[in-house]
Amino acid sequence: MTRHAADAPGDAIEDYLDRLLVTLSGSPRQVRHTLAEVEAHLRDAVAEGMAAGLTEPDAQAQAVRRMGPVTGVAGPRTGLARPSLALARRLMLTAALIGAAGFVAIGGAGLVARPLLAAKGDAFLTAPWPQASYTRADCARWLAGTPGTHSCVAAMLADHAGDFLLEATAAGLLGLLGLAGYFALRRRWRDRATLTALPAGTAEALGAALAAVAAVACFGTAFDTEMTQRGVGAGEPWSLGVAAAVAAAVFAVALRRTLRRTRPG
Amino acid sequence: MRSERLKGHLDLLLMSVLSRGPGHGYEVITRLRERSDGAFELPEGTVYPALHRLEEASLLASAWDVVSGRRRRIYRLTPAGAAALAEQAEQWREFSGSVARVLGTPAAGVTWRPLRRGAPA
Repeated sequence: MTRHAADAPGDAIEDYLDRLLVTLSGSPRQVRHTLAEVEAHLRDAVAEGMAAGLTEPDAQAQAVRRMGPVTGVAGPRTGLARPSLALARRLMLTAALIGAAGFVAIGGAGLVARPLLAAKGDAFLTAPWPQASYTRADCARWLAGTPGTHSCVAAMLADHAGDFLLEATAAGLLGLLGLAGYFALRRRWRDRATLTALPAGTAEALGAALAAVAAVACFGTAFDTEMTQRGVGAGEPWSLGVAAAVAAAVFAVALRRTLRRTRPG
Repeated sequence: MRSERLKGHLDLLLMSVLSRGPGHGYEVITRLRERSDGAFELPEGTVYPALHRLEEASLLASAWDVVSGRRRRIYRLTPAGAAALAEQAEQWREFSGSVARVLGTPAAGVTWRPLRRGAPA
């Protein structure tokens, strides 16, 4: 193997630039620009030193000494204290996409729950509270909200099922708003630094993994409820599990498309 | 002059140097040394974080160009930088004038002289 000319030992400028490269923080572009600036500076200083009569090694040593430690060029360690703007934007986009998709999935769970509710009733969707945990006033409120029902437990189940559907709808609408915000931000931040701040497909992979974990947890809870409570209250985890599984599948398809699009060659 | 003491005024000095015309990092350092008559000695690398910070604050703008066969980043003062320079220079004049008034006239036998590189502390 032949040694590259720039790898020759004893070149103080190359050594300095190597140390600077591993010290600099910031985006790849910022790092490249700072390296190019500092190299031009050092070469100028060497030329000036040699014009003044120094040998090249002495001129290099003087240029490096006058430049000061690499930490001075790198400045405060902003990379640790404050991520680059591009990375912060990309993380914000990732969080917005996953968060919005999560809320939309909860909205989807509400849609899944509606036919379950129609087919199997309130008791399948939500489980009643233990008898000692509610008061007569609670019963009166539930009964008032469910005209034609005379049983406190039936009114409670109808109330809780209604709450679940209402909250799921609200979450779905919030998720759609979040997605609109995500697409608006993505159009605004489509510079290359932001797009390449994280590996391609990071958001999709993270979203798929989180949704898959949520689906497994919900299906596990639903299955356990079927076994131990004869299905009472199993509808909620079933519907959430189905929505999470759909979200995981959508993220997985998006990940596959992203990886195909960005595959080299 | 001690570089720690200089750092607090580096932004003002860099903007002042660039107010005389655009320049790359090495030129900026050279002009700073020449205009201070060699008094301002600081590790040359420390100007780069300052230049980048000033550019981030839109007080400087930069563009890449090839000068003397080398690719260089040329900095220039922006209109916002010129305004900031005027304001900071005025503040500095007020401050240094106040310090000078407090210090008063040098005592008999003491001569004020500019601090030069290599001069005894």
